[in-house]
Amino acid sequence: MPSFSLVTPTTVEAAIAELRTGAPGEVAVLAGGTDLVFDLDRAGPNLRRVLSLRCLPWRTLDWNGPVLTVGSTLPLRSLEEDPDVARRHPGLFQAIRAVGGVPLRHRATLGGNLGRAAPASDLLPVLLVLDAEVDVVGPSGSRSVSVDQFLLGSRRTTLARGELIRSVRFPEPRPSAYLWQRVRPANDISQVAVAAAFSPSDRHWRLAVGGIPPRAVRLPEAERALSSPDPTREELGSAAEHATHHLSIAADRRASEEYRRHLVGVLLERAVRSASARSLEAGRLDP
Amino acid sequence: MTNRPLSLTVNGKVRPLDGVPESERLLDTIRWRLGLRGTKEGCRSGECGACTVLVDGVSTLSCLTLSHEVDGSSLTTIEGMADDPVGHEVEEAFARAGALQCGYCTPGFVIALVGLLNERGRSASVDELLADLGGNLCRCTGYLSIARAVALLQKEGR
Amino acid sequence: MSGSRPRPDAAAKLTGSAVYGMDLEAPGMLWAALVPSPIAHGRLRSVDLAPARALAGVVAVGAAEVASLLSGSKGDPERPIFPLETVVFRNQPVAAVAAPTLELARQAARAVRVEVDPLPIVADLEDVFPVWPAANAEGSPFVAAHVRARSGDVEEAFRTAETVVRETYRTSSVHQVAIEPHACLAEVDGDVWRVRSSTQTPFGLREDIASLLGVPEEKVVVEGTWVGGGFGGKNSALLEPYALLLAKASGRPVKLALGYREEFLLGRTTLPSVIRMESAVTKGAIVARRVRLLLDVGTSLPGRDFATGYSIGFLLGPYRTPTFEVEGYAVMTNKPAFGAHRAPFAPQCAFVLESHLDHVAREAGLDPIAFRAAHLWKEGDTTPMGQKVGPFGLATAFEKARSTAARWRAEARPDAGVGVAAGFWSTGTGAGGEARLRLSPSELTVVQGEREIGSGSVLAGVAAVAARATGLPRDRVTVAYEDTAHAPFDSGVFGSRTTAALGRATEEAARALFEDLGKRLESPSPVRLEVRHGEIVAVAGAKESTIRELSTEEERRTGGIVAVGKHYGKSGTIDESKVEAGTFYPYTDFTGAAHVAEVWVDRETGTVRVTRYAAFHDIGTVVDSATAPAQVEGGVVMGLGTALTEEAIWSDEGRLLNAGLLDYRLPTLGSVPPIEVTFVEGFLGAGPFGAKGLGEPPIIPVAAAVALAVRDATGAHVTELPLSSERVARALKLL
Repeated sequence: MPSFSLVTPTTVEAAIAELRTGAPGEVAVLAGGTDLVFDLDRAGPNLRRVLSLRCLPWRTLDWNGPVLTVGSTLPLRSLEEDPDVARRHPGLFQAIRAVGGVPLRHRATLGGNLGRAAPASDLLPVLLVLDAEVDVVGPSGSRSVSVDQFLLGSRRTTLARGELIRSVRFPEPRPSAYLWQRVRPANDISQVAVAAAFSPSDRHWRLAVGGIPPRAVRLPEAERALSSPDPTREELGSAAEHATHHLSIAADRRASEEYRRHLVGVLLERAVRSASARSLEAGRLDP
Repeated sequence: MTNRPLSLTVNGKVRPLDGVPESERLLDTIRWRLGLRGTKEGCRSGECGACTVLVDGVSTLSCLTLSHEVDGSSLTTIEGMADDPVGHEVEEAFARAGALQCGYCTPGFVIALVGLLNERGRSASVDELLADLGGNLCRCTGYLSIARAVALLQKEGR
Repeated sequence: MSGSRPRPDAAAKLTGSAVYGMDLEAPGMLWAALVPSPIAHGRLRSVDLAPARALAGVVAVGAAEVASLLSGSKGDPERPIFPLETVVFRNQPVAAVAAPTLELARQAARAVRVEVDPLPIVADLEDVFPVWPAANAEGSPFVAAHVRARSGDVEEAFRTAETVVRETYRTSSVHQVAIEPHACLAEVDGDVWRVRSSTQTPFGLREDIASLLGVPEEKVVVEGTWVGGGFGGKNSALLEPYALLLAKASGRPVKLALGYREEFLLGRTTLPSVIRMESAVTKGAIVARRVRLLLDVGTSLPGRDFATGYSIGFLLGPYRTPTFEVEGYAVMTNKPAFGAHRAPFAPQCAFVLESHLDHVAREAGLDPIAFRAAHLWKEGDTTPMGQKVGPFGLATAFEKARSTAARWRAEARPDAGVGVAAGFWSTGTGAGGEARLRLSPSELTVVQGEREIGSGSVLAGVAAVAARATGLPRDRVTVAYEDTAHAPFDSGVFGSRTTAALGRATEEAARALFEDLGKRLESPSPVRLEVRHGEIVAVAGAKESTIRELSTEEERRTGGIVAVGKHYGKSGTIDESKVEAGTFYPYTDFTGAAHVAEVWVDRETGTVRVTRYAAFHDIGTVVDSATAPAQVEGGVVMGLGTALTEEAIWSDEGRLLNAGLLDYRLPTLGSVPPIEVTFVEGFLGAGPFGAKGLGEPPIIPVAAAVALAVRDATGAHVTELPLSSERVARALKLL
């Protein structure tokens, strides 16, 4: 277990400056700590400083009309407990509930999860189908990028040196669902997961699969097979087939390739049906 | 590595500490510097829940928390539960329901449950509470006696 | 009997004041860490401790230091504390270090330079026997034990049978996974080796340490702490010798606690197996059976394997099988040695046997439950190995299970399935013990050498026996634990023996006590004890006296009148004429269990959810009605882990891939069904008041019941444990 000093800047500028000093691998960013502290050895032998974000003003949750902006260091539990989140982004709510247990969610954060980009993250597939945007701050100012472009691979993102995730933005509420296959229902890592969301504004489906290394991915061919908020059985079957056919799947100790492929199809159909039911239920969504 | 002073209010008492390494985990500070060994070390990786404590009334896995991250906070451990009205009720319910065997996971469960009651209110439903206790593992009881303790707690608490 | 008051240990555990091994501390203590072998098999070229010793305050010991630390004793030549020439499993400790902080100790352990020249790794059974062992395979250097037994003309029976079914099953490795890791604190005081440890077996540990260090047992003192779960994993000297050597080398107390990964990497537990079952049936009756067991025993020593000869009996019984052939191989691989895990290997055997007989019945066109019921042992039957079956309530339990299953099937939703499974165990394994009673003017103390590991067998069970045996109310009885230097000997809390064996010893002590009191009262009449105004009074006929008055001055000073009782159980015998090779073990009693599982299977993913469960246990007599059902619930849920989610996965290089709670899945609160517990009393066992043990039987039939329920629901016949959703999906032909 490495020893390091803990730096807790009180301004964003100071945090960015701290990140830019020192050699590569010297600094690690601490949000809730449930990934970093869990796996400190992975932080590498050069670790000297841990940069705590706890004093930065990012423990926020704001609705601006349909747009939800979540500060990157807001504990997941706070997001989960917000009744508007559960109502307007039911898939996100389901995904958050899938992460660890309650005490863990009191510290785990969206920003931490996104920055970590773990292949089996439960949140990332849902961020993809909600077209979430990542707001990044760094030495050259702020930028926003879609989560899809933000994620490069297993534990790799486009965060450059000196950059931090400030917030995650969800452009519009969407009927959505997140379903997973795991060994046991609570406190587990998903072998395969599927997120589905229907956009009321452009009337298209978004589908993403998670749990499969290296990262959560969208399923464009499958999405194209669905033409309405209430897809037919044939369309669902076709979408499932597209998804399983085009997906590159690795086996690992959690599941074989064939089983994962099979599960993608099954979960996809179920997730779409679930999201579709929510869409019909919701009728006209709040602006 | 720097060692720095750390100030925590622990079970109602201010406990200033000197020379706490910045890389130290709250679990170790509690057990070895504060001498409060009721909070248990299990997996040390956030999966078993035996190390659960309350930080400012909120349940937290102390094995994954750096002590200096909670500098200045109010910490509640199992040792503080007897004096806490809700904690005391929880302990009574566990004792009456026989909801423990080896007892190693018990402090974590008690604290997690008190944390949930803080969050959801004293009259939260049994199902809600049980649904939110999935982060605590027990290997002895098979959980059913713990579920009975929660039911007993909520029945008597009305 | 008794038990609606809170457990006597509830307050200490609920308030966090109970001290477990992990909580031990002593002034000036050092923290220890183990230095692991980097590979699973190799020739040890060098272990360089110098880089560790270069760090301030670090003490290091390796193979080279052991002899001088032990003052020339050679220890156990078969089990050197550190390997001298060869490492035989990955992470095998090759040295140990101690330092003022745990972090420094871990750093020092990493600094030790270990050079090992790789040797071929035997990772699993298939590496040794890619196909089934040929004749004379027992000559293989990888076979630690070989057992074979036979009765009757097996070939003829198979040749002439109506139906013959042959199947192969595979079972996985499972770990005990107590929430508390192993931990101990060692101190060497002159020539006395003292250790405080989270252990199920203080005296067994003492014996093991003495043997490993090559010192007399009286020079080893073991004091047990509260134990945060044992399940068989804390009944051998897994870490104490290292701590003791470091304590000797440093002159300081040394604390050694395993990290949670190390619990998995070093743990001795149930390992994988391949089992072949063949059965011949004619007109609804089993006419012959063949059983072949290949059991991975890791680095168990040849001649020290207990598992194979014992376990193979659970692939035969509890069914009448006059004509049979069994053969078992204990196969050595580069893994830690096979060790005890709650009812060692019996859950796996029950899964295989019940699934197989269920399958055989179906193939023969017979009702699977009636078929098994017709062959179940009853008292007076002879086991395949020739032992007479004693009082045995399994048939009664099975009937109750059967009728519950029928009712559930009638009530259940159409896509649910119900399975019934039988199992048995031998409780009170003959290992003996002693108890000491101390009667003071106001209370009775049972002084004994066991710690309460959680089941209640000591604090509740033994206390209940003492109360009933003396006629005193429960609240007048306490249980006191003392270390091995002061306590009467007992074999340990394992094998479901505690309430039975220690309880019987307590009964004996009570008899001795009453005899003594009768003499003191100078009355031949039977003695009884009463409590009047808080004082205990002994009454015999017309004579009576308070205990205070009956005690000598010395006794008043030292705590009371003392009486000792011993119990060493008898084992049955087997018919040695059936044994062709190896050692088979008789049973001390026959404890049955019949379980019912109701499941729902997701037919698209293969996920199994257990929706209801019932357990019927042949318990003899219920000694403590609060803790008994709790044992059943706990054992059943542990069994659900074995059935559905727990599996240790090893790589080709002998590396454990899922050494942690993230990927080794224990059942959680949300996955537990309601469990009905019913006790079948009256088929008396060897324990006090006819009690049978209950620590292990509840885990035995679980995987079997779940597997049969899955088959009932879907027709899927899974022949591997655990029933992961992927395996069920394959059996459902989804992939």
